[in-house]
Amino acid sequence: MDRVLEDFISTLRSSGVRISVSESLDAARAVQLVGFEERRLLKDSLSSALAKSAPEKEIFSECFDRFFSFDFFNRQMEDAPRREAAEGMTSLSRMLLEGDQAGLMTTMREAARAENLNAIRFYTQKSLYVMRILDRMGLRGLDGDIRDLYMSGTPSSASTAARLEAARDYLYDNVRAYVEDQYRLFSGSEAEKMLEDYLRNTKLSNLEQRYFHHMQQIIQRLVKRLNDLHSRRRKPSRRGQLDFKRTLRDNIAYQGFLFDPKWKRIRIERPDVVAICDISRSVSRLVRFLLLFLYGLNKEIIHIRSFIFCSNLTEVTHVFDSYPVDEAVARIQAGTDLPILLARTDYDRSFRDFKEHYMEAVTHKTTVLILGDARNNYNDPQTAILKTISERCKKLIWLNPETKPFWGTGDSEMKRYAPYCHMLKECNTLNHLERVVQALLKK
Amino acid sequence: MSTNHDDKFSSIQVIQEGFREACYITSHQTATTVYLAYHLGKPILVEGPAGVGKTELAKTIAAYLNLPLIRLQCYEGLDESKALYEWKYGKQLLYTQILRDKLDHLINRDDSFSQSIDKLHQYDDIFFSWHFLEPRPLLKALQQKDGTVLLIDEVDKSDDEFEAFLLEVLSDYQVSIPEIGTIHSVTRPFVILTSNNTRELSEALKRRCLHLYIPFPDPALEREIIRIRVPDLSKHLAIQLVAFIQEIRKLDIKKVPSISETIDWARVLLILHADNLNPDLVRETLHIFVKYEEDIKIVEEQIQHLTTQAVRVSGG
Repeated sequence: MDRVLEDFISTLRSSGVRISVSESLDAARAVQLVGFEERRLLKDSLSSALAKSAPEKEIFSECFDRFFSFDFFNRQMEDAPRREAAEGMTSLSRMLLEGDQAGLMTTMREAARAENLNAIRFYTQKSLYVMRILDRMGLRGLDGDIRDLYMSGTPSSASTAARLEAARDYLYDNVRAYVEDQYRLFSGSEAEKMLEDYLRNTKLSNLEQRYFHHMQQIIQRLVKRLNDLHSRRRKPSRRGQLDFKRTLRDNIAYQGFLFDPKWKRIRIERPDVVAICDISRSVSRLVRFLLLFLYGLNKEIIHIRSFIFCSNLTEVTHVFDSYPVDEAVARIQAGTDLPILLARTDYDRSFRDFKEHYMEAVTHKTTVLILGDARNNYNDPQTAILKTISERCKKLIWLNPETKPFWGTGDSEMKRYAPYCHMLKECNTLNHLERVVQALLKK
Repeated sequence: MSTNHDDKFSSIQVIQEGFREACYITSHQTATTVYLAYHLGKPILVEGPAGVGKTELAKTIAAYLNLPLIRLQCYEGLDESKALYEWKYGKQLLYTQILRDKLDHLINRDDSFSQSIDKLHQYDDIFFSWHFLEPRPLLKALQQKDGTVLLIDEVDKSDDEFEAFLLEVLSDYQVSIPEIGTIHSVTRPFVILTSNNTRELSEALKRRCLHLYIPFPDPALEREIIRIRVPDLSKHLAIQLVAFIQEIRKLDIKKVPSISETIDWARVLLILHADNLNPDLVRETLHIFVKYEEDIKIVEEQIQHLTTQAVRVSGG
């Protein structure tokens, strides 16, 4: 029975439920206590020992139902089994003729285990596994039996042969359904993981629309991880040394007895970010994801002001404040209700706009994040303004969606901007993005 | 946990019956988890929306076992000194003042500084002994001879550090006090942790607990709860009431009514001597189970429709 539990736990793990060794030991002890007899009791017990959050409970419940399902081979064969006909045949044929449901089920499970069905990962493997399991169950013997029966030529053997043929189809169907079921059980999360790996490393500009939905989820997960990682850093502020001056001052009331010690505190500021994004066609997709990313962090750690530019520059922070993130990003990209000209990219005018109206947003605590390909259509690059920004701010990060060899070619001014950037990165996959945001959050 | 409660935990049905007598209706899942927690000696981590009876579960277990309930309410900034123990600083100070003469007497005659320090060292543990220790809930729970039910309420409100600190208590039922040593539990307490899921709890904590998720009850269970909590309420009104609340939970509102609010409403209806739900009655008593201005607006639009539906369910 332990083998069953072990299999079940590995199934749960592959479906994305995290189960530690100690939890599986708990499960084993729980099973010892309640036994396998009562299904509901078993399910509730295992559920409390193994699944530790509401979403995990759902996965658990689904896995449990699928794993402990016994509804295969449940159709009764039409005719009553005739024992004498079954003599001299292979055990598989006999079981089919006699409608031995439990026997068939056991043989199928054993065959499946021998063929390592739980290693199934891709749907293309399904038919292969079906054939292998059937082989191991003795399909050849069954075929042989049918052939022999036809050869012998008596009417009764012919009818048995026909019944066996029907039974063979029935066997096929059940094994196929079983494999299908197990495939869903074992492969689900694996395929998703591969898709996620793929998506994280694909260039964002090449992503197809249909994956956007997936991307959102991945981004949310990354954001959550970063949040978890960095929200904790605020805590050290409470640890500190004794603040002797304050302690003395506050304890004067107690005749100088140090009743109430006071501690020094460390102030840790939330990162203050100014994001300036090019939204011309060449970089628009990347901008979308960057903004999603940043605003996901907004709640917890980052105070952010964002600006967009194309032919001119404007602030869009208020758009994010008044609409949900998804909608806000869409509005920004379309330029809805915003004083922005979506013509040729013009760094000259945009930088001048920034200098005139928004320079006060940049302080020594600010991290400035510029996202753009630096393709300026041969306008004045205004490096002086960038230099001012760079001197005023804590850190200037430039993200360029183009790959490095293209920097400085044609109308790209990247090489001229580069000296003023504290950090200059090629950025066109999710992994790049994550790394950048991580750098943002570092002290 | 001591062995003398084995008969009270002999099977799921016994637990369900016992809890029912204590006016607490459990689902099969809840009873199973309590059963396992007792037999495996593990804490239970209870999660679920607010007001489904998470805290009540702990109280019921305490009542069922005739044990005291020790409650530790978690909040941000909760630390060891509030949860585990604290030195009675004032008392220590007072004693040193009172005993000043005594100390003078002890030390006075000796001329060398190091000798007096040596002498003092013979006594220094006195001021860090049990007499000067103020036990807080966790330590108290471990010290109870006959066992106790320890409720650590809303553990998600505490910080990560405190959570890590709980691990020792939960897995080994012991705590370490540097000046005194490790203190083991006399009798294992029955530990219940509750969480409202405002933040994800750490893996380590979850690993040490059995996990129970209490969702909103299904209509049958909720009717049963109303019946046992507000026994005087007429049966068909209870049916209407539960049907109405269940429908409201399906609406898109900020705070859905919980069981405790259903019970409150039932009590109010009882006091008002209502015998059927009607739109006016609902409108007047709406604020008992809907707590936000926006929510009230949403529900008010639907009152007519929902009330007729609920009345139809009861067949009245």
